[in-house]
Amino acid sequence: MMIKVEDLKKSFGDNEVLKKINLEVNKQEVVVVIGPSGSGKSTLLRCINLLETITSGHVYIEGTDIADKKANINKIRQDVGMVFQQFNLFPHMTVLDNIMLAPTKVKKVSKEHAKEKALELLGKVGLAEKADAYPDSLSGGQKQRIAIARALAMEPKMMLFDEPTSALDPEMVGEVLDVMKQLAKDGMTMVVVTHEMGFAREVGDRVIFMDGGYIIEENEPRQLFEHPQEERTKAFLSKIL
Amino acid sequence: MGVNPFEIIKEYLPFFASGTLFTIGFSLAGIVFGTILGLLVCFGKMLSNKWLSLPFVCYIAFFRGTPLFVQILIIHFGVVPAIFHQSNGIASGIIALSLNEAAYIAEVFRAGIQSIDEGQTEAARSLGMDKVQAMRYIILPQAVRRVLPPMGNEFISLIKDSSLLAAIAAPELTYWAQAMGAQYAIVWTPYLTISFIYLILTLGMSFLVNRLERRMATK
Repeated sequence: MMIKVEDLKKSFGDNEVLKKINLEVNKQEVVVVIGPSGSGKSTLLRCINLLETITSGHVYIEGTDIADKKANINKIRQDVGMVFQQFNLFPHMTVLDNIMLAPTKVKKVSKEHAKEKALELLGKVGLAEKADAYPDSLSGGQKQRIAIARALAMEPKMMLFDEPTSALDPEMVGEVLDVMKQLAKDGMTMVVVTHEMGFAREVGDRVIFMDGGYIIEENEPRQLFEHPQEERTKAFLSKIL
Repeated sequence: MGVNPFEIIKEYLPFFASGTLFTIGFSLAGIVFGTILGLLVCFGKMLSNKWLSLPFVCYIAFFRGTPLFVQILIIHFGVVPAIFHQSNGIASGIIALSLNEAAYIAEVFRAGIQSIDEGQTEAARSLGMDKVQAMRYIILPQAVRRVLPPMGNEFISLIKDSSLLAAIAAPELTYWAQAMGAQYAIVWTPYLTISFIYLILTLGMSFLVNRLERRMATK
């Protein structure tokens, strides 16, 4: 088991955003989280690598409880790649340096090795020619593919995607989803928060529907989309499909 | 008109030359020590523990909230004699300018650091960097670029403020202008001369900062 979430609760002040979430993600599984905005899906994802503190409950990454004060969160995060809605590339560095920074500074990989790996990843996301460009000169779709390559450079065991295509112009969504599909095909364990139902249906092993801080329903994609059991799921799907 | 201004300027040329060097020296010392100390004060003020950050908050409040002139007098006639058992205008000048500059630099840096999008820190941390690495490799380099223009303003102010050190007989430009004015009972010649020199120094500083800004631009 890669990720196990147990009775997770998260509050911002008086506002309880996650109300007792339980979730398990197995090795090489692609779990897609859908739901209306404000349902807590992004917060759930951010709790999994402790970008949000956990109010109560547990999150286990490969058996280690990350809420435990003794857990080395910096070490654990190296195994959990994250891709953000706003890309968050480092604007003061070239694409190559963006990708090489964490491997060389955190993992202490040699520069030559890191560069070789970075160029290989850039080829994989189809942006080999952009190695020396600065992020500001790239389109949104290119930025997000670089962000994926940057996360992969740490050779994570699992990847979290927080609405990776929501900030993109429609014509750029496809190129990012293609990279993610390939990643899933290569056997990466993935948790993806998205509004792309086509992606959920095609790539997801399991789809989770969240609303109001609860997991309302989870099932394999075809079952969930074609035969939703819960009223709230039906209402949500009828609005977006 | 009894005296020829050019004759006097010629007579005082060596003093204005050394005065200019002292003014540059005081300014450089203030910039270097003020920036280093200012960065430390900035991190101190940003500590999440309220009690630990309190001394740094007080430091900034004192040095920004009281006149630099008064600080110079306190340091020259109080602090330096108490510590070194003798007074020294040069040491007092460097200490006063550095301590004062640090308070302003700290606030400029803090504004710069806090203006960097939270997502930058999150991206760095999500890659496994610790807080210090995220600050060093991601936040500070971006913050420094962003605060260059206000830093340039601070440095220019510092050059001009160093003239206050004339009051404690530190041998910088204004000190020699006062000496010249007193010796010959004249006003225009000494003060216009040093005004011209200050102008060259401050314009030179803004030129340097502009160049640095352009060199650090990413695109």
